[in-house]
Amino acid sequence: MNALLAVLWKDLLTELRSRDRAIAMLLFSMLMVVIFHFSLPGGATAATRAYAPGLLWVAYVFAALLGLGRSFAIELENGAIEVLARAPVDRGWVLLGKTLANMLILGVVQALTALVFALFFEMNLLPVALPLAGVVALGSLGLCAVGTFFAAVAVRTRLREVMLPLLALPFYIPVLVAATRATNTLLETGSVSFASIHFLLVTDGSYLIASFILSDFVLDE
Amino acid sequence: MTDAIAKPEQHPTPSAGGGARRVSAAALAVSFALWAYLVYAAPLDSVQGLIQKILYVHVPCWFAAYAGFALTAVCGGLYLWKNDERYDRVAVAGAEVGVVFCTLGLVTGPIWAKGTWGHWWAWDPRLTMTLVLWFIYLAYLLLRSFTEGSTRTARFASVYGIAGLAAVPLNYFAIELFGGAAMHPDNLERGSLGEGMGWPFAAGAITALLAMLHLVLLRVDLERRRAAEGPSTPDWASAEGD
Amino acid sequence: MTAVVARNLAKRFGRTVGLDGIDLEVAVGSTTAILGPNGAGKSTLLRLMAGLARPTGGSIEVGGEPAHQRTARARVGFIGHATGLYPELTARENLIFAARLRGVARWRERIEAQLEEAGLTRAADRRAGDFSRGMAQRLSIATGLIDEPEIVLLDEPFTGLDRVASDRLVARLQALRQSDRTLVLVSHDVALAARLADSAIVLRRGRVAHREDGGALDPQALENAYSAAAQRDSS
Repeated sequence: MNALLAVLWKDLLTELRSRDRAIAMLLFSMLMVVIFHFSLPGGATAATRAYAPGLLWVAYVFAALLGLGRSFAIELENGAIEVLARAPVDRGWVLLGKTLANMLILGVVQALTALVFALFFEMNLLPVALPLAGVVALGSLGLCAVGTFFAAVAVRTRLREVMLPLLALPFYIPVLVAATRATNTLLETGSVSFASIHFLLVTDGSYLIASFILSDFVLDE
Repeated sequence: MTDAIAKPEQHPTPSAGGGARRVSAAALAVSFALWAYLVYAAPLDSVQGLIQKILYVHVPCWFAAYAGFALTAVCGGLYLWKNDERYDRVAVAGAEVGVVFCTLGLVTGPIWAKGTWGHWWAWDPRLTMTLVLWFIYLAYLLLRSFTEGSTRTARFASVYGIAGLAAVPLNYFAIELFGGAAMHPDNLERGSLGEGMGWPFAAGAITALLAMLHLVLLRVDLERRRAAEGPSTPDWASAEGD
Repeated sequence: MTAVVARNLAKRFGRTVGLDGIDLEVAVGSTTAILGPNGAGKSTLLRLMAGLARPTGGSIEVGGEPAHQRTARARVGFIGHATGLYPELTARENLIFAARLRGVARWRERIEAQLEEAGLTRAADRRAGDFSRGMAQRLSIATGLIDEPEIVLLDEPFTGLDRVASDRLVARLQALRQSDRTLVLVSHDVALAARLADSAIVLRRGRVAHREDGGALDPQALENAYSAAAQRDSS
């Protein structure tokens, strides 16, 4: 537990000082919104609002992949990954600490992206802000749990960060499917889709447990 | 007296030796002949016509694809547990053979779909699942080829194989619950199969599994022989744990 | 009493042999030097002791347990080639992280003590990324020792240090020796190793070529063994 908090604190502090990941992720999301506008027939307006939830999650996924890849690249730079690997705790805690840090950083980017989306697609997110935040958080937990885990693997291959999307996407599909459904339902009807939430919880839980158990092997030599 | 740094290790001959391969080859030949005959002799489907016969190839392929992945995942787990690289050889064999069957399934599926429903593709659970499985296979194989150092490769691959095993049911339920409508004919499973159609499917499944077994044995042997030779790239490049 | 025991320890990387049957016993409170030419397996041996790699044959135990286990890792401090520092964090913050990661109880005092010992008290609030090599090395050692491990492993710690920094490090190591810590040191500098250590082994191609223990080491014998190992290597 100590280790988890230590890693969480360290990651957030490092990010606060350099801000390189958050800025890159944010810029990337904004670019994606602009690209979405130009690729939709008629542009991003109230008329194409139906596409918004799906596109929002696409932006989230790509921003996440960008940030998650970096989270371990940083450790590799000064050999800090060995320090993490040698921590006298279950390595799962170290990965979990990083997952939470990634979620928080991603969360900031997600909130700002949602605002921009709301602006372009002329949606009023205020009435559903809280449940929406909940859905996004649940989805992000899945994305970050899997992403952080595979980032540890990816950075130690020849392709480095580029390997991460290849590894993670098959695992992202269930999260995406449920999260977009939940977001859709929320934005269209204002109510919560319990089936989606339930599924997200099961998926997140499975991913967290699996990565905890397998974490030992991933931080080895 | 000189001893080389790279000492070719003499691995104990794995149990799947030449004898096993001959047996599996023979069994495969018999099974294939039987299956081919049964497919030829099977009655034409009243609704779909001749195109339905491609299912006798498609379904067994799909079967073998999943069996292959199960093999890869299980051997991955065994490798992590026992630290014996022979398990990793079977795992990579299972993946390479499995991906071939998966590709075959992905090719035959749409051919049948176009012939019966008129669409090349449908986002129904089973077809989408085969596609997802195919992506998992590819990711597995790419991971292997881009990781340096055979120990690290084996470990990463084993982890991914096991993780993939978890991804399969989750993907299946996700697509089933939230995806498109199911267009896959459920009668392929059991029950409403027409008269005389059950046998070719059974023979097909057995043939596919035997084919898989034989190919896996061949691939494991190839891997074993490769391991006995010198290294192509110095493995100590990855030894400093970067 | 033994701190580290290696029995027929082997490490293969695929088909390349890193270590080929090492038998070694490191006594508690002793200082052991591991010498040998490049590629002999010195770093590999140290990393196996640190729990950073797993053996492919034989065993390596720290305090009676396999080296890669959590409880064994807790007793061992490892100072490797890489600094393991975070450039955006200050020296103090790097130490805080190391202390909390390793579960040090009263870390505030410990950190001040380590900063003092490393001569970094005035630079404590400067970014580690701005440090000179010598300072970074001192900080790296401080983070490695923050939990005061019983066993300290050092992989060529003198590399790239100037005379002043080198002397400082020697003093630090002597102090550690006196506090009954078990030290294992990988080095290229035979003379220095002979001065600091009371046991030594010389590796050649993954095997022990020469072994000496019992207190005062004979630098000449070690030098000869090293040369012999290096020579045979290049033939």
